Amino acid sequence: MDSPLLSVRGLHKSFGNRPVLKGVDFDVRAGELLAFLGANGSGKSTTLRCVMGIAQPDAGVIAVGGDDLGSLPWRQLQEARRRTAMIFQKIHLVPRRTALDNVCAGALARIPTGRSLSPLFFPRSVQQEALECLDRVGLADRAFDRVGRLSGGQQQRVAVARALCQRADIVLADEPVSALDPHAAEQVMALLQHLAHVEKLAVAAVLHQPDLALRRADRCIGLLHGATAFDLPSSEVDAAQLDALYAPDRVVAT
Amino acid sequence: MAVVAVVVLHALAIQGTGFEPGLLVDGWKGMAAFVADAFPPDLSWDKTIRPGLEATLVTLWIGLLGTTFSVPFALLLAVLASRSTAPHRLVYQGARAVLSFFRAVPDIVFALIFVTAVGLGPFAGVLALICHNTGVMGKLWAESMEESDAGPQEALRTAGANRIQQVANATLPMVVPQFVGLLLYRFDVNVRSSLVLGLVGAGGIGLLINQSIKSFRFDSMLTHIIIVLVLIIVVDQFSAWVRRKLAA
Repeated sequence: MDSPLLSVRGLHKSFGNRPVLKGVDFDVRAGELLAFLGANGSGKSTTLRCVMGIAQPDAGVIAVGGDDLGSLPWRQLQEARRRTAMIFQKIHLVPRRTALDNVCAGALARIPTGRSLSPLFFPRSVQQEALECLDRVGLADRAFDRVGRLSGGQQQRVAVARALCQRADIVLADEPVSALDPHAAEQVMALLQHLAHVEKLAVAAVLHQPDLALRRADRCIGLLHGATAFDLPSSEVDAAQLDALYAPDRVVAT
Repeated sequence: MAVVAVVVLHALAIQGTGFEPGLLVDGWKGMAAFVADAFPPDLSWDKTIRPGLEATLVTLWIGLLGTTFSVPFALLLAVLASRSTAPHRLVYQGARAVLSFFRAVPDIVFALIFVTAVGLGPFAGVLALICHNTGVMGKLWAESMEESDAGPQEALRTAGANRIQQVANATLPMVVPQFVGLLLYRFDVNVRSSLVLGLVGAGGIGLLINQSIKSFRFDSMLTHIIIVLVLIIVVDQFSAWVRRKLAA
């Protein structure tokens, strides 16, 4: 089996006196789509935010391509971060800018600061690459439309293209389909599945739709009160395990 | 308790300003005579209207340059004085202090200072407005950046963009409509401020209104006020048109 692109061990995080993560472990390999399931407050998003460096974990090891982020010198840490892209529930694009300009922003880490002050100065090679990324998500024909004029599903696909333009090989998605209608949600999940299975990226997505996760993801991790309740191939997850995640009190009562 | 405090404050303010409506009732005849002297307005082209239009144009130019030339300074200070974009807490505090200073000193005081350096005329007015407007606009812009959605900035930070890239590609594009709206509002205010600056020698229609009053030419004064009214309406309509275009 391939070694994991992203490996997390013993992740702990507390907000004040409230522990949110109590030792989360997981791996994601190239070509794999992993889904995090769990009720609100179970620690799914915090896990991703810790991996991205948006939140600082209290303890644990996060390794990208086998390198422990905690022990990397600054420059290598930046490179490891560049390999990891995040897709957000609220999409976080700039609505007034075109899809192409938003996708180009994924490449900012490799554009000199002087050439990144306005999309007018972005190198032609970056614009070309951004256009190819939009083509990969099926939106090349909307490249010059303002993002604010696209549908929610299309906006989320632009966000995926931005992650591709970052040349990331690990894509983390925090509730990428929560704000989308069922059809758009299927499209975005199909795209994430394509990135994993065809483009061989390592993809991990927090989902609130167990049925979508079981159909699209290769593996599911259930989080309960900040700890791993199960880590199984999607085909082996059953209704009782899901019930235990979303209604633990009811399971205990019965 | 709060109501009592408000009432006490107003009582003190009324006493402090000598606010006495009775005086207005007693003195209405003086006001009526003043207004009557202004009618009919002086419509002579060479003596009143043409100089009035020329001076109005100068007033407009003072307001325009006072607004646009303050943009680079206001923008830089706003970025440094916004919690979401300031590189360091000390820089943030320093930039806030500079903005407070420029805002606290009235434009008319700046004008008097600049008159001693560059002499009487519109240039001193432009310099005064640049200084004061930098303070006001910088603060308004900094606040609008703090209130804007920080999500796109966070997304670019996670993608490895540095702080300058985050500001240029997420924070500023997110607040363009608010920035332009505030800029137009300040242009509107500055055109009216440049009228007042005319009273201290900065030129423009304010100077002509002052001269008309001092020489008891109230009919000329009225003509100039009508021209000002038209100017203000035109500026207001222009601002509304740009805002509509931005919203579309």
